[in-house]
Amino acid sequence: MLDAFLAGAHQVFAFDTLIYMLIGSVAGIVAAAIPGFTVTMAIILTLPLTFAMDPLQGVSVMLSVYVGGYTGGLISAALLGIPGTPSSVATTFDAYPMARGGEPGRALSLGVWSSFFGTIISTIILIVAAPPLALIAVKLGPWEYFSLIVFALTIVASLVGNSLMRGLIAGVIGLGLATVGPDPMMGRPRLTFDSDILMPGLPFLIVLIGIFAISQLMGEVEDDGKSETKGALIPDVIEFKTWAVMREVLMHPVNLIRSSLIGVFIGALPGAGGSIANLLAYDQAKRSSKTPEEFGKGTPDGVIASEAGNSATAGGGLIPMIALGIPGSAVDAILMAALMVHGISVGPRLIMDNADLAYGMFIAMIVASLMMLVVCVLSMRLFLRVTDIPKQFIVPTVMICCVIGAFALNNRVTDLYLLGAIGLVGYGLKSLDYPLAPLVLGVILGPIAETNLRRALMSEGDWTVFFTRPISAVLLAAALLSVIFSIRSVLKMRKKNRAVTDEQDGD
Amino acid sequence: MFRKIAVAAGLMAAAIAGPAQAQDYPTKPIEFIVPWGPGGGSDTQMRLVAQGLAEETGQAVPVINMPGVGGNVGLAEFAKRPADGYTISQIHEGLLISNGTGITDLNWDSFMPIALVTSSPQYLTLSKNDNFSTFEEMVAYAKDHPGAVRAGVTLAGVPHLHMAMIEDAFGIQFSYVGYEGTGQRIRALVGGNIDVAIGDVSSAGQFVENGDLIFAAVGMPERTAEEPDVRTFKELGQDLDLAVTRGVVLPKGTPQDVADALEAHLEKVMQNEDVRTKIKNVGSEPVFLGQDAYKAYLGKLSDTVNRLVGKLAG
Repeated sequence: MLDAFLAGAHQVFAFDTLIYMLIGSVAGIVAAAIPGFTVTMAIILTLPLTFAMDPLQGVSVMLSVYVGGYTGGLISAALLGIPGTPSSVATTFDAYPMARGGEPGRALSLGVWSSFFGTIISTIILIVAAPPLALIAVKLGPWEYFSLIVFALTIVASLVGNSLMRGLIAGVIGLGLATVGPDPMMGRPRLTFDSDILMPGLPFLIVLIGIFAISQLMGEVEDDGKSETKGALIPDVIEFKTWAVMREVLMHPVNLIRSSLIGVFIGALPGAGGSIANLLAYDQAKRSSKTPEEFGKGTPDGVIASEAGNSATAGGGLIPMIALGIPGSAVDAILMAALMVHGISVGPRLIMDNADLAYGMFIAMIVASLMMLVVCVLSMRLFLRVTDIPKQFIVPTVMICCVIGAFALNNRVTDLYLLGAIGLVGYGLKSLDYPLAPLVLGVILGPIAETNLRRALMSEGDWTVFFTRPISAVLLAAALLSVIFSIRSVLKMRKKNRAVTDEQDGD
Repeated sequence: MFRKIAVAAGLMAAAIAGPAQAQDYPTKPIEFIVPWGPGGGSDTQMRLVAQGLAEETGQAVPVINMPGVGGNVGLAEFAKRPADGYTISQIHEGLLISNGTGITDLNWDSFMPIALVTSSPQYLTLSKNDNFSTFEEMVAYAKDHPGAVRAGVTLAGVPHLHMAMIEDAFGIQFSYVGYEGTGQRIRALVGGNIDVAIGDVSSAGQFVENGDLIFAAVGMPERTAEEPDVRTFKELGQDLDLAVTRGVVLPKGTPQDVADALEAHLEKVMQNEDVRTKIKNVGSEPVFLGQDAYKAYLGKLSDTVNRLVGKLAG
């Protein structure tokens, strides 16, 4: 084992590998920071380059893009209020208010450190417990997946903002939008009205970019002139307090570890990954907080939960891939392809047959997260310059990036019309004070819930199986508790409001 | 970046040069529309072919992923592209099934099939269970308990066709559970959530080696080099050809001399040892069937699909 470890380390610490990894790290961070550009895209672009590299070298470079990508999304989330990637939706809730509140340096530092610790924790779990965790993950059938999604849907209650009613409506709109297009099991068209635009359905990333980016950018345009911020949101002197923030993150150990564990768990389940993990981690942090009313206003706990949660899915996603050769996401599938091209079969015997490679990947994860940290800390000042640029330049630039990114996802022109239409819907909803996160959650979870429900009933035409399989039953019970808890806290909040302002109605 | 500049420069040069003559085809980059998402079998194999083609012709061959509706979105777009040989695409068995089940109006003869380039042998794979551990036991069990054997397939997809062919040939009946892609099916098979599935060496080989899964039969005319102990369906009494074959197509109406030039380039690519090894590494077989042989193959396949399509539409 030590031999394999050293052999792996030897390859990762080669000078050229480290240089390529550094480039990969920067590329991942930048790609993720631009709304509309995704980590998957950055990794596809690196795939042909790795054909010419050694297997471990190629995978190390891809891992550094991957790890950088899970962090980069926080930059636009914090500074622009637009999630750079689907996995940084929850980061906008608190990092953006914090940045607007005059602490952009702190918001970024918090996110970067949380991402770093999240990746490290997930890598440790990956090293220590990959095979048993992968075996558990593989045993989960459609029943467990469906129950998990039911549980995940209940977190809408944490994301609703001012009004439970409007939050639920947004969630239902999201679930509805997800039904447009080919049905996930048979590919039969639904609600497409024979139009070419709707035939491929509403891709979730198009909805995400449309809903968040377009509405946010239009909001900025509308806002201009009214609030005298001169475009620059940040006071002249920016304090990063890198080390102080590191301590601050470590002062929230429970949140950090809980969020990372959620990230690892969700990451290990093939399907949704980072896009759910950040929201679940945020929800759990809010519920167990003593000051849940601070969430959404710029609390450090919110930033830590979201960023640790999404970064931990990086290690989590590798668990089924390294232990069993089963990809957890599109990114993992590309990583596997990069290995297979070199004649390495990825499967349950990878750790036995190619131990140096497996250990090398573990080392590469750690190195990649260190690189991400260094690159982010050094370049943060540069990123903050973004906020100095006057709005008339930044808004159109970001808009163009969104449109290019939306096109590059599937190379479909019709997606751009969808983007425009969804952007208008998002802007309308935002103007009417509807929360947008539940809508996105509905779009992500709807198809997964449908697929697994149908799959479960095809496997066993009996509904009671959902309650007799233990993990499924536990998840459904958790969902029920979650709903009860939410209703109670809403009622409590209402009572409180009534007591304070008797004449004002809660909602 | 460098590549993009190269592509842009190539496009500009082509614009200046005017319409290309077939004898020096290609004179500018060839866009390769892969109608599937990145990371899958089609994507990986076609990227290798594209790389070989770029080396062979000296022109860039950028791969454009255009996924959606089982490959039909990309192919619909491809069908509208100019038929000049500078946009190529790829089809496999899935197109014929989509056509048969009415999802798309396009069929293999809506395009000009140029060359079949890869063929992935498919194995009937069994999970470890108490009821059967060989092909014969599975058939006997399925005959005694019709519908009790759960088969994981992509509904109305290639694995579904393959399973329907097995049902048809051996007179048995499965109950189908829908999964997306081989990875998902193999996971469900290892987890015991389904009983049988179509798998391949790259996704299931190591589980078989480990004893977690069983390869019961292979759908090739002869036993494969990777799994010499696995019997063919022919040996088991029925001649079934279960492979996923991928070939390059041009839009209909492309000049015949351009088609011939592309065919000749692809033939050389498929003799390239580096390309061959890498395609084998990702679990497929490099092959080459030219225009006529490929058309004949697709025609025969089309008959099979049409015969079994009733089973797939449900």
